[in-house]
Amino acid sequence: MKEEIFLGNGAIALGLLEAGCQVVTSYPGTPSSEILPEIIRLKELQGLNTYVEWSTNEKVALDNAFAAAITGKRACCCMKQVGLNVAADSLMSAAYLGITGGFVIISADDPGPHSSQTEQDTRFMARIAKVPVLDPSDPGEAREMAKLAFEISERFKIPVILRPAIRVCHARQSLSWGGLTNNEAKALFKKDPQRWAATPRFRFVLHRELNQKLRDIGALFDGLSSVNFHDMKEGAEYPIGIICGGVPYAVVRDILSEQARDDIPVLKLGAPYPFPRALADPFVERCRKVLVLEETDTLIEYLLGNRDKIMGRLSGNVPQEGELVPEVIVKTINRALQECGVKSLFAPDTGDAAELLKNIPLPVRRPTLCPGCPHRASFFSIRKGRAKTIFTSDIGCYTLGLNLGSVDTCLDMGAAITMASGFYHAYKQDGVDKSIVATIGDSTFFHSGTAGLLNAVYNGARFVLVILDNQITAMTGMQPTPGLGIKADGSKGVAIPLERVVKGCGIEFLEVVDPYDLKAMSRALKRASAYAADPDGGIGVVIARHPCVIAYRNRAIPNPRKPVVTDDCVSCGFCMERFECPALFKDEKVGHTMINEVLCSGCEVCVGVCPKGAIVIPKEEH
Amino acid sequence: MEVTDLNTVNIVLCGLGGQGILFMTKILAEYALKRGIPVLGAETHGMAQRGGSVVSHLRLGETRSSLVPAGKAGFLIALDPWEAYRSLPFLGERAVLCVNSPNGDFPTEEVKTYLLKHGISFFTADAGRIAGRMGAPLSTNLALLGVFSALPEISPFSHEGLGETVELVSPDRFREVNLKVFEAGFEEGKRH
Repeated sequence: MKEEIFLGNGAIALGLLEAGCQVVTSYPGTPSSEILPEIIRLKELQGLNTYVEWSTNEKVALDNAFAAAITGKRACCCMKQVGLNVAADSLMSAAYLGITGGFVIISADDPGPHSSQTEQDTRFMARIAKVPVLDPSDPGEAREMAKLAFEISERFKIPVILRPAIRVCHARQSLSWGGLTNNEAKALFKKDPQRWAATPRFRFVLHRELNQKLRDIGALFDGLSSVNFHDMKEGAEYPIGIICGGVPYAVVRDILSEQARDDIPVLKLGAPYPFPRALADPFVERCRKVLVLEETDTLIEYLLGNRDKIMGRLSGNVPQEGELVPEVIVKTINRALQECGVKSLFAPDTGDAAELLKNIPLPVRRPTLCPGCPHRASFFSIRKGRAKTIFTSDIGCYTLGLNLGSVDTCLDMGAAITMASGFYHAYKQDGVDKSIVATIGDSTFFHSGTAGLLNAVYNGARFVLVILDNQITAMTGMQPTPGLGIKADGSKGVAIPLERVVKGCGIEFLEVVDPYDLKAMSRALKRASAYAADPDGGIGVVIARHPCVIAYRNRAIPNPRKPVVTDDCVSCGFCMERFECPALFKDEKVGHTMINEVLCSGCEVCVGVCPKGAIVIPKEEH
Repeated sequence: MEVTDLNTVNIVLCGLGGQGILFMTKILAEYALKRGIPVLGAETHGMAQRGGSVVSHLRLGETRSSLVPAGKAGFLIALDPWEAYRSLPFLGERAVLCVNSPNGDFPTEEVKTYLLKHGISFFTADAGRIAGRMGAPLSTNLALLGVFSALPEISPFSHEGLGETVELVSPDRFREVNLKVFEAGFEEGKRH
């Protein structure tokens, strides 16, 4: 055994492997992305034969793992909460069918949100699908819960969801570990078409089976004292108690222990669904009031039998949006204590710091594309001369194209294409040929671009589609894509060129161009626009291909040369507004725009951006 | 009555995405691990890493929650002066603040008054310049960590131990330069 600091996602990976998980599939998404890479690191360290894959999307990941789980193996799929929406179709059905081995679905939530479209609560997805859910408070507990999830799954033949929130996934904690071994269970699929291909008639029977499983698991959760427990003293009654789970439990436990407040009992629900009613109801009975602190929504609050005493989101006691950070939790508890006439918790007074900050003009830090990012070059060309065009875009680094005025919409994975066709038809109905340019990344295109593109071609939509091919899934931490033909563990897979996929979707106009070459990119876009407007044309596709500067520094910029700004600069601000490179700044001392040498990547693209020709590569000194 | 947990050391590190805050956090965490101190921390990943405000929390000792509560940080290490201002509410009484201040204009008079009132000792350095002098302008983080390592009252940390940790966790090709920048920061910090 050795002591090591694990990222929460690493602790989850460790728990999965300790449980003998044999198959792990995933699609990257913050905050879940590091689980699979940690599985790979640990399996390679320990010489395990775990099968791993980056699947093309979350539904694909779930289906693949599900199949393994009905051969009797232990399998897991990992994703972020909105990824589970993509996999929801599979999840609902898998709950009815059940499994023969073990099946754990990890769906990471993002209260805040820090890096997501929504603050949705995976525990509700578990409730809708009718599968158990576990809600860890810290990395160590997430590791234990990964093992518990497999035990429950295998015992009751049901998929189990593990829901870590971002503060678990991206926490770091020291843990001791060692000695992982292979699970020797062999694949054995027993044919039973009535079950595995069940018709609606038999689905009714399966639903009845599922409901029975949930009753049994609920009874288990009532007494599962490793994760569901409270600290009430025998026979005592209390003016107020707290029910919490997940990350808020860690915060509440810390505060109450530090301040030795054993007058406030805490019921922790690490396994909140199926709801442990026989544990929760008596707890509520022995309190005059009960504060419920849960992330991100109201699952526990809804499931409590009697809500008369409950102080939560429904009663307006707990904020309905945002993360329950320690300050919010202390404030919320203190308001509740005051309402109940109970002594407040001590909270450091940081009021004068807050007051002080009001007078400091803190800069708003919006995230931006990296210096040298090929997307910036693409967006500059896309925006040029297209003030009235609708720019549909998608999920990834390139959503930040909105800083450059080249992104108008971002709905969900793949919506750049589907919304482009939607806009086209909505305008066309009125006899208007609207100019539309859609942008989507390579990984997002593989994830859910093709179905939308097939639809758009089939139904005769017209727009320009730019596939921003930086040959990596960048935002989530540089995972390979099918276009690359490199698998999750770095081994060689089969590369699927984007060109073939695009052509296969029925596209006739396709050009591949390097966006660093602004002129070539502009010309390609013009031809694509003309094709989209031509009566005999169709959808014009441009693949803007240049490697990500972070993933492939040397390949992206083989000969970096850093430009300088000459006195021809008139400080018009065009480069900063339309190109928005972090290396560009207004130097008050010099009196015009300058380039920060440290930040500059040497990509030289800005040279072609300045309308006055004031950005130049200095002549080499001899 | 004020109740404080004397056993937990709370550290906040802040700056901008891309400045290497995660690496600094890793060094401090590994330092503690080596000494058998339980480590719990929280990091920023994802979209904010693209140039946004990045805050990293580190808690050493027996604790369950990874976030440092407001008013509880004993140390604040800031790679950017504006981000240092933003993180002021984390600082507790008698805390230590170490800031990279390229223009030498940190703190404002108002903030200075605030820091003095709360017994917070603050140290500034142009860490970017130190790193640049060593030929590694992107290693501002290690220069500032070097400055920090020279400050009085940084227990449980020590200059020697942090240096060893830098050596331990640096990738092979950066080990030498990282140590050089760290030591240059230390020399600058000693002058405070």
